[in-house]
Amino acid sequence: MVVNNPHELRGKAVSSRGPLNKAPSIEKPASAEQLAKTLHDAATQKLAVIPVGGGRARGMGDPASRADVELHTTRLDRVIEHSQADMVVSVEAGITLEALQAELAKAGQFLPLDPFNSPGHTIGGLLASGWTGPLRMRFGSPRDFLIGIRVALPDGRLATGGGRVVKNVSGYDMMKLHYGALGALGVIVAASFKVFPRPMHDVTVTSDGGWEDTSRALATPVAPSALELFSDGRVLARYTGSPDAIKRVVGELGWKTADGAVWEEHSRHAHPTWARIGAPREKLRVLLDGLSDWWASPGAGVAHWAAPADASAVRAVRQKAEASGGSLVMLDAPDDFMRDVGAWGTPPETIAIMRNLKRAFDPDAVLNPGRFVV
Amino acid sequence: MLPEAVVAELRRIVGRESVIDSANDLRIFERDGSIEGAVPDAVVLASTTEQVARVMKVAAKYRIPVVPRGAGTGLSGGAVTIRGGIALQVTRMRRILEIDPVAQTALVEPGVVNQELSLVAAQHGLFYAPDPSSQKACTIGGNAAENSGGPHCLYYGVTTNHVLGMEVVLADGSVHWVGGDVPDRVGLDLCGVLVGSEGTLCAITKIKVRLLSIPPSVATLLAAFPNIETASQAVSAVIGHGIVPAALEMMDSVTVGAVEAHYHAGYPTDAGAVLLVEVDGIAESTRELMAAIGKILAENHGYGLREAQTPAERDLLWQGRKGAIGALGRIKPNYYLHDGVVPRSRLPQVLSAVGEIGEHYKLPVANVFHAGDGNLHPNILFDMRDHEVLHQVESAGEEMLRAVVELGGALSGEHGIGLEKSAFMPWIYSEDDLDAMHRVKDVFDPAGMLNPGKIFPDPSRKAVHLAGRTGLAVEAKWW
Repeated sequence: MVVNNPHELRGKAVSSRGPLNKAPSIEKPASAEQLAKTLHDAATQKLAVIPVGGGRARGMGDPASRADVELHTTRLDRVIEHSQADMVVSVEAGITLEALQAELAKAGQFLPLDPFNSPGHTIGGLLASGWTGPLRMRFGSPRDFLIGIRVALPDGRLATGGGRVVKNVSGYDMMKLHYGALGALGVIVAASFKVFPRPMHDVTVTSDGGWEDTSRALATPVAPSALELFSDGRVLARYTGSPDAIKRVVGELGWKTADGAVWEEHSRHAHPTWARIGAPREKLRVLLDGLSDWWASPGAGVAHWAAPADASAVRAVRQKAEASGGSLVMLDAPDDFMRDVGAWGTPPETIAIMRNLKRAFDPDAVLNPGRFVV
Repeated sequence: MLPEAVVAELRRIVGRESVIDSANDLRIFERDGSIEGAVPDAVVLASTTEQVARVMKVAAKYRIPVVPRGAGTGLSGGAVTIRGGIALQVTRMRRILEIDPVAQTALVEPGVVNQELSLVAAQHGLFYAPDPSSQKACTIGGNAAENSGGPHCLYYGVTTNHVLGMEVVLADGSVHWVGGDVPDRVGLDLCGVLVGSEGTLCAITKIKVRLLSIPPSVATLLAAFPNIETASQAVSAVIGHGIVPAALEMMDSVTVGAVEAHYHAGYPTDAGAVLLVEVDGIAESTRELMAAIGKILAENHGYGLREAQTPAERDLLWQGRKGAIGALGRIKPNYYLHDGVVPRSRLPQVLSAVGEIGEHYKLPVANVFHAGDGNLHPNILFDMRDHEVLHQVESAGEEMLRAVVELGGALSGEHGIGLEKSAFMPWIYSEDDLDAMHRVKDVFDPAGMLNPGKIFPDPSRKAVHLAGRTGLAVEAKWW
């Protein structure tokens, strides 16, 4: 755990958001069953529960309207089972991404997830927040490789969906229900993933050619696994896979080779006031035109923006993003700013269905009240 | 039979000819690709979203079950009207509304045939990745409802990984767009929940799917093995080396015999098992990967390795694989096909259990399956005209699934739970797990009118709960 980190401290401050009479009590259960019981006890008393993992996405969402209990998953940090031959891993939700990667690395495997504001994310936190990073371009988000989930519900039940096999249509896809739901329907206590073999070859190249060069990289016969563009025009492209194929593609691009460590450095990016912009790929450039302090994954249609402390500027970009069919979500901001611009923007057309789902799982609205869209 | 007033209302919505209610005609819609059938009270052939929505409203008003239906090729009884009611046929909604070559997406109606979409997309150098073996007939709507797979899902992922958004009609007749082609949408992932919900939560009226660039180079390799065990070990070895091929399929000797007699594709009939391996990408990478795979297969008792030299040769190999189940008709007229999934390393164990069960019941079993995913397809071969044997077939199928579950697997990899496997759901899910799924059902379809009797165990249809053959306890509490 990183404790001497400004974001961590900020995260602690966030918990006292809202009109609180007293600081929330902090619960750190040691097992999924204990966590479910703690959640149930709180729900019975209608106490507001804020689930906490590594605290790296604590700033996400609107300021909670109430916060009575912080429910930390950090003691649920075991690898439950790593079946190397099956390339499947099951973990408790409180394990950090780094600890999981270290375990997988022993078998030459990895989880293709490289979220920003690293290190220190927990797996549960990443699934709840839906944060991703550059590797999404090639591997998709955890939505695509999460194969099983176990969730504690406010009524004290522990509900499992999916399983430990890489392909499974047995029952509803409960993974999709909880992924990116910011803990609004339950607290994720365990998850199973399909993992991937470390690529045979992994090369990073860089240029200063801006959008034109990202287009060139996207048009190579082998798509890059990650492609990042920065507001100063710098481009990073990562190619993984067959050495011969990469040699050809990198040769055609003719860019400088960069040290692979640049990706870890990139994953540390975060900002006290920042937003994530999702847009159709072909519209991202127009949306970011005229803005500074951003980095983007043009192949995925996602950008992160260190926004200025100017609510009207953020609203203007959000309006453009939404008009293009996309969104602007605040990942962190001072409370007053967050209340002013709102974390999520225009609610989706299907918000009524989402509210019904929320009621079905959390009838007393004890989980993260006021923080998510439902 | 529906009351005449209801039929009249339905006819006002879709037209006189588009409501089928004569006993003889209804029998055509009695089944899908599975064993059990039930005749609907009426079939409604809808042509537009608006018609689907209006039909749904009428059904809600009179509390009539509705079962959305595509081509009826499903293998788990998903399209069977087990509680009667309306079979809502969407195959007239068969337009490809849009192909966007820049965004690499397509917007289609649910009745578009899977292979047709790839054929049309090919004009733009694109294809639709999920490729069920029934792709010449099955519809994209049915694929989305079942979250279908296919041989190439090993590398590319199953239907849910390719559906970006859908227009759906809920049980109350309301029409909604869920999902979309932009990442990180705000709110709950309703699209992800609805894909694979087997018609129990909504009817699907439009689907936006991701298309991929056709890889410039494809290499397909056939390898023979002395038996299923060695072939299974070879599969694990390939993937253990960090290679995830586009497809990695296995056929046992029974299947190879039938396929070769039918297609003359050059499958080695003396082999105990064969593997069909495909890699794609640019020429540099397919060459490199194929060389590595060939070496690994040879080290693991593979022999008679043969790489397709021309596209025609490749097509013939795939024709054999995708047409395998049809070719099994040479042995017996009917088959009963399960699609349990096990962790890949358990393939030898589960296949030997499958063999034992077949022998016990004196039923021929042919295996043809997605080995790379650990997704079995044991085909129990029989003759439906022999009424005595059907019960044996079902018992054998149930025992095979039981073995799958005992080895830490799941009931279905790509065919769905449907009618056929609903009784077995408690093998893999606790009461609390099923309760959580039921909450989702109740939100979308509170009156339980959409495809009733599917997915969730029906107390009136009991599983026999046979003792397993692997000697292992069910790993139900796998956390």
